[in-house]
Order: sequence, then structure tokens, then C-alpha cells
Amino acid sequence: MLFNSAAFLIFFPLVTTAYFLLPHRFRWLLLLAASCYFYMAFIPKYILILIVTITVDYFAGLGLEKFEGRTKRWVLIASILTNIGMLAFFKYFNFANENLAALANFIGWNYPIQNLSIILPIGLSFHTFQSLSYTIEVYRGHQKAERHFGYLALYVLYYPQLVAGPIERPQNVLHQLHAEHHFDYPRVTDGLKWMAWGMFKKVVVADRMVRFVTPVYGDPTSYDGPALVLATLAFAIQIYCDFSGYSDIALGSAQVMGVRLMKNFDHPYFARSISEFWRRWHISLSTWFRDYVYIPLGGNRVSKPRWAFNLFITFLISGLWHGANWTYIIWGALHGFYFVLSTLTEPFWQRLSALMRLDKLPRLKAALAMLITFSLVTFAWIFFRAVSLGDALYIARHLVSGWPSYLAQSWKMLVEGAQEASGLGLYSVVNTIFKIIEPVTDESRAVLALTALALIILLVIEILQYRGNLLEQLNQKPVFLRRVVYASLLAAILILGTSYASVQQAFIYFQF
Amino acid sequence: MPAQVRLFFISLLQVIVLTTGMIALVFVAIKPDPNHYFAGSRLQLELLKNTPSPRIILVGGSNVSFGLDAELMQRALGVPVINDGLHAGLGLAPLRELEEYLRPGDVVIISLEYNMFSYESIMQGDRAFLSDWIEYSPRRVRYLSDPWSEASAIYATMLQRKVNREVNRYLLGGSLDEMRSIFLGTKYDANGDFVGHLQEASTTPRKIPSVPYFASTFQEDIFTFLEHFNQRAQEKGVEVYFEPPASRKRNCKITGEALMAKFFETFEERSSIPVLTPFDGVCLPDKYFFDTPYHLNAEGRQLRTQRLIENWLRRNASSK
Repeated sequence: MLFNSAAFLIFFPLVTTAYFLLPHRFRWLLLLAASCYFYMAFIPKYILILIVTITVDYFAGLGLEKFEGRTKRWVLIASILTNIGMLAFFKYFNFANENLAALANFIGWNYPIQNLSIILPIGLSFHTFQSLSYTIEVYRGHQKAERHFGYLALYVLYYPQLVAGPIERPQNVLHQLHAEHHFDYPRVTDGLKWMAWGMFKKVVVADRMVRFVTPVYGDPTSYDGPALVLATLAFAIQIYCDFSGYSDIALGSAQVMGVRLMKNFDHPYFARSISEFWRRWHISLSTWFRDYVYIPLGGNRVSKPRWAFNLFITFLISGLWHGANWTYIIWGALHGFYFVLSTLTEPFWQRLSALMRLDKLPRLKAALAMLITFSLVTFAWIFFRAVSLGDALYIARHLVSGWPSYLAQSWKMLVEGAQEASGLGLYSVVNTIFKIIEPVTDESRAVLALTALALIILLVIEILQYRGNLLEQLNQKPVFLRRVVYASLLAAILILGTSYASVQQAFIYFQF
Repeated sequence: MPAQVRLFFISLLQVIVLTTGMIALVFVAIKPDPNHYFAGSRLQLELLKNTPSPRIILVGGSNVSFGLDAELMQRALGVPVINDGLHAGLGLAPLRELEEYLRPGDVVIISLEYNMFSYESIMQGDRAFLSDWIEYSPRRVRYLSDPWSEASAIYATMLQRKVNREVNRYLLGGSLDEMRSIFLGTKYDANGDFVGHLQEASTTPRKIPSVPYFASTFQEDIFTFLEHFNQRAQEKGVEVYFEPPASRKRNCKITGEALMAKFFETFEERSSIPVLTPFDGVCLPDKYFFDTPYHLNAEGRQLRTQRLIENWLRRNASSK
């Protein structure tokens, strides 16, 4: 079930109302049944994968608490192999097989194994990692094994974060699922506000961006630099609003029922370095990789080359986690490269900044750092979004093509517009702006204007959130004003959301 | 009820009332656009309501509105003829509407675009087009294939399209006519024929996509629908015929002669509705089309209408 579907609009109030009406001892059962229904709305039979994973990890958890030494280690290995085995089979089998076939073909061998015709289960990477974190934490002694099968199943299946995270840790969620939560007006309403904001980001901003991204990335060779840059920037916004919007809805819907999930995004595009970006982007995944891959590899308590290797490998796996395609692997590698290079060259940048006296202009320095980080991240998104490696390389190579003629044409329009503006005023200025943008996209002026409006709203709210707790500030305003703000947000979702779309756009991260 | 829950429901109600007020304001303030191509459907609806029976009603997508001359047929046959063709993007909804206005003695000539026979989604209609069509007559919502589940999405789409239209109008200096080119709602004649293209089409050559008309398989649902339609029409004393859509020679060739023939065979096998123009007379030279493989220009429209009149007279003569 999609959060942005009419079905969820019925599902959520029904489940929430039933949750608060039921005695505490039955609530886990309600949430488990609701979560199963939520998941089975996609492909029902894939619930079996989850049942297998949960059963294995349930007994593994009990075993990890019971056994010591080598036996305990073997229990953990068995759990990890089961989880990773599921992931490998459904997600990576065909990818590995295709690459082996290509290699065999290259060296002239006959390769007989055919690809499997399987559909990737929704959110497989998410619930596999969440399940893994349970057994690892029990193994490490940070979490007691869950003795109630239903609660462990609920921990993995909990519908707000089941298909696209946040990837939770048992220490944060399990005790909250056990606890009794009463109806608490501020908590419930704050949760609903988060959900509404997440919905705005998804259906108003992210889905609107699709119109600028899909045609160009679907056929990049038909476009030149300005259109490729616009589409790539649009994708940077789309993926942020799509994924953080999903996380906001997940956090909000869990909060309504008293469960506080971990924050998954913290204004990543305001990051001033790649390392800061990864502390703000998909936090639940980056901390997962930090805790379960990077640190076990030795983290930064090793030699410089080994540290660089650890970091690079972690990013490479992170890329592969996102999808079985070379484009994702290169995306991960690119971030690993950025991270290592920026850390190694930090003294140089500091000296350069002192030389240019940027330290005396902290705002300018911060803005420059944000711009550079955003540009690097956006460039890497090309590999994430492109359909194939060939397309990605084409886009990367042609980002700068076609600019001279486009800029010359824009300049001409600007001059003509300035001459007209003296007589016609604001309309002429607006007209000129559209004439400059129109060669880069086929969208109508209304779509462009409403997209600009949506982006302005997004930017203002993001800045206000970045500077302080926006909800707290808003809660101090007069009641009527607050009601108008919330009603306007809902009206904006209805009016500006996915205009003309005949099909609901699924969340990008569902595919992972 | 606990105080916190009561407070919650009061707040929720206030927000819902305010949101509904804002939305209602947009619906009321932005009126249907008289220049939109679909505005012609208001005239067609009036004709369906007010033209006395017996009459001939031509129904289908834009291949009917652009490519058949109801006025010429009326003159030739001496009975009132209504052009109720509009847009293939509406799917079968216009047929459901037409059914309500059928009276004894009427004749219905259906001409549905080929791709409706291959794809269920096209048969159901496109949400954006349907919302535009319903804007001109809100009761049309009942003609959706599943009104209860589709109405909310249709009204949401309508709301968005109204806002988009007004913003576009403002940003284009007060008129959308330039953007709409010849597709204007004011360009319909008294019989419901679209005539906006008759002057300009022949002088403005446009690139027509050379694509096949349909896939190699036909879906069952459309034949089931047509059978039910025919049955209900017959119960009302109405005759129903099928006229193949305007077909461009190059697109016929790309589709393949065998597949084109298979369409006619399949239609005759699965439907009890008689076909007026046989397969060998369907595909017309490319010069008669002006912007899509379904849109005839003035000459093509005249040729196709004359052929239809001849086939109609021949059929009537043989049945007598």
C-alpha cells in the first residue's frame, strides 16, 4: 500500500482508531495484522519471505542468549547467512548471473545459466537490514532476545517503516512497541502535521519533479547541457522530497501511535561537506553501515590507507545495497572517493580558505561549502538515476554542452525583455523569464510557475526547520492562524499535488 | 469522551471545514472555459436532449468529431444527424452518456479508435480528459466505469487542472487560444461537428506519427461492453452500427494488412453490431490526414462521409 493512495487514507484512520479503542494486550495483534495487510497489498506471497526471516531471527535471538563462544558465533552466522541469502537471491542473482554470462562470453565460454524471472520484493533491503540489526544487537549484548514472537514480528513488519525505513534498531523500537500509549493530543497532532508535510514533499514537490526528470533521463541523447543540468537538479530535489517525505509520513504515523522512530533526514542539502552530508542523509542506513560494516572493518583506528579502504568498501556496499546495477555501485564509489579525498585534503582547503580570508566571512564560506557539496552530491545522482552506465556517462560528459548558444539566446531575450519591460512592467519580466526557461523544458508555464511556488514553500520551510523547531514555534501562534496554516497545507496538497497524473507515483526507495 | 480526544476532533473538524472552504472557493471561482475543445460537448449534449427522433447519432473519439460531417449526412439522408464524437481519451464514457438519451427510432453509428480494442486503460479513459469533460456537466461522473472509486481522483484532477488553466491563462497574457491552436470549443457547427480544422489543416502540414494502430491482441471487455450497449439500445428500439475509424494508409501498412484484416474478422466474430464500411475501403491516402493518424482534413472528411452515406444507403436498400 502506498502512503499517497486513497487506500491509505482509509487504512490509517481505521487502524489508529482501533488501536486506541483496543485494550493494550491486543494492540500488538492489531498492528501486526494491519502491517501484514499493508505489505500484502503489494505482492501477497512475498510475506512468506518475511515469515521465514522473522522465524529464523526469533530462534537465533533465543540461541544467541542461550549459547556462548563458538556456538553463539555460529548462530549469528546462520542468521546473517539466511538474511543475506534471501537478499542475494532475490536482488542480486540476476545481476551476478548477467555479469558472469558477459564475462564467459568475453572469454569465449559457454554459459548455460539463465536469469530467473522474479520480481524484487518491496522493501527487501530495508527489512533484511532491520532484521539483521536485531540479531547483531542481541549477539553484542545490547538487546535482550525478544521472547514474544508477535512483538519480534511486529518489530520487523511495523507498517510505517516496513518498506522504506527508517531502518530501526531493536533498542529504540522494541520497548516502545511493548509500552502502553495513551491518546496524547500534542503527540498525535504533531504526528499528523509531520505526515501532512511529508505528503506535501512527496505529492507536490517530488512528483512534480518527475515531469522534468523522466523525459530527459529516458532519452538523454536527445538533450544537451542545459536540459541535462535542469533534469539532474530536478532529480536531486525529487529524490530528497520523495524519500524524506516518505520518512516524515513514517515518523508521523508511528508517532500518532506513540512510537518515536529515528530521524532519517536532517536537511542534507545544507551540509557543508560530504561527511556532514552523510550525517544528514538517510541517517538510519549510514549509521547501520557505520555500526555493522565500517567499524567492524577497523573504522578510523587503523592506518590511513586501511582507513581509506574501509571507507571506500563501505560506500561501495552501500551503493550495491541500493540496487543490483553498476550505476549504483559507481554512485557508491563516487561518494567513497569524495569522502576520502575531502578528508585527506582538508588541511589544504583550510589553508586556502585562510588565504582567501574566507574565515572573516563565515556566511560566504558556509554558502560556498554548501554549494560545492550540493554540486558534488548532485553530480553523483546522475549515476543513481541513469537507466544504464552508458546513459550516465553520456549525461556526465554532456552537462557542459550547448551552453554557449543557450546563453546567447537567453541574453538576447533578456535584452529584448528589458526593452519591453520599460513599457509593460511586471508581466514583461515574467514573460522574459519564461522565454528563457522554455527552451530547456516542454512543460507549460503554469507547471513551471506552480513548480517554482512549490519549491519556494519547500525552501522556506526547510530553512525555518533548519534554524529551529518549527513545530514548537508554530504551536505558540494563535489557534486560528495555526488552523489556517494546516488547512492551507492540505489545500496545497490537493491543488498542487501530482497534477495531470493518471498514475500514482510510487516512492523511489520502495524498489530497494 | 476524554477531553483530549474531544479537543482533537474539534480541531480536526475546524481544519477540514477550512480546507473544504478553500477548495470550494477554487471550484466556484474558476468556471468552465468556453474556449476549451471539450466545451463543444455541451452543445452535443443539448443536441442529444433536444433533437427529435428518429435521428442518426455518430459517436466515438476525435476521429468522429474531426472526420465525419453530420451536416452533409443530414442533407443527404433527410434525417437529423448529430455528431457526438469528441476524444478517444474519454474511453467509453460518452457511450454510457449517449445511452441515456436514446429514443425509439434512433440510429447509433459507433466509431471507436482502434487502440481502445487493444488496451483496457484506453477503454477506461484518461483521468485528465475525463475530468475536463465532467467539468462541463458534473452529472457525467455517473458515466465513469466505476464512479464510486474514481470520482474522488477525478475531482482532485479537475481541481488541479482548473488552477493550472487559470495560471496558464494569466502567464500567457489572458488567453489560452494560442496554446490551443485550432482546438477551440467555439469551433463546432450546429450538428456538433468540429470545424476548426477545415481551413487551416490543409495549409499547415504537421508531422504525423507513423505508429501501428493497435497491438496484435484484442481485449474482451470492449466487446462485452459493446454487446451490452447494443442489447440495451435494441430494447429501446434503437439500431446500432459500427463504422471503422478514419485510417491512414501509412499507419495501416505499419500495422500490417493481415492484422488490420484480423481486426475486422475479430469484430465480426465477437460482436453482433453490423460493420458499415468493409475492410477494403477503410484505409485512406495519407494526404487526407493533417496531424494524427485519426484526424482527417476537409477533403478527407468529405470523402469519408460520402463513403459512409453510400454504405448506409446500400445497406438500407439491401435490407429492404
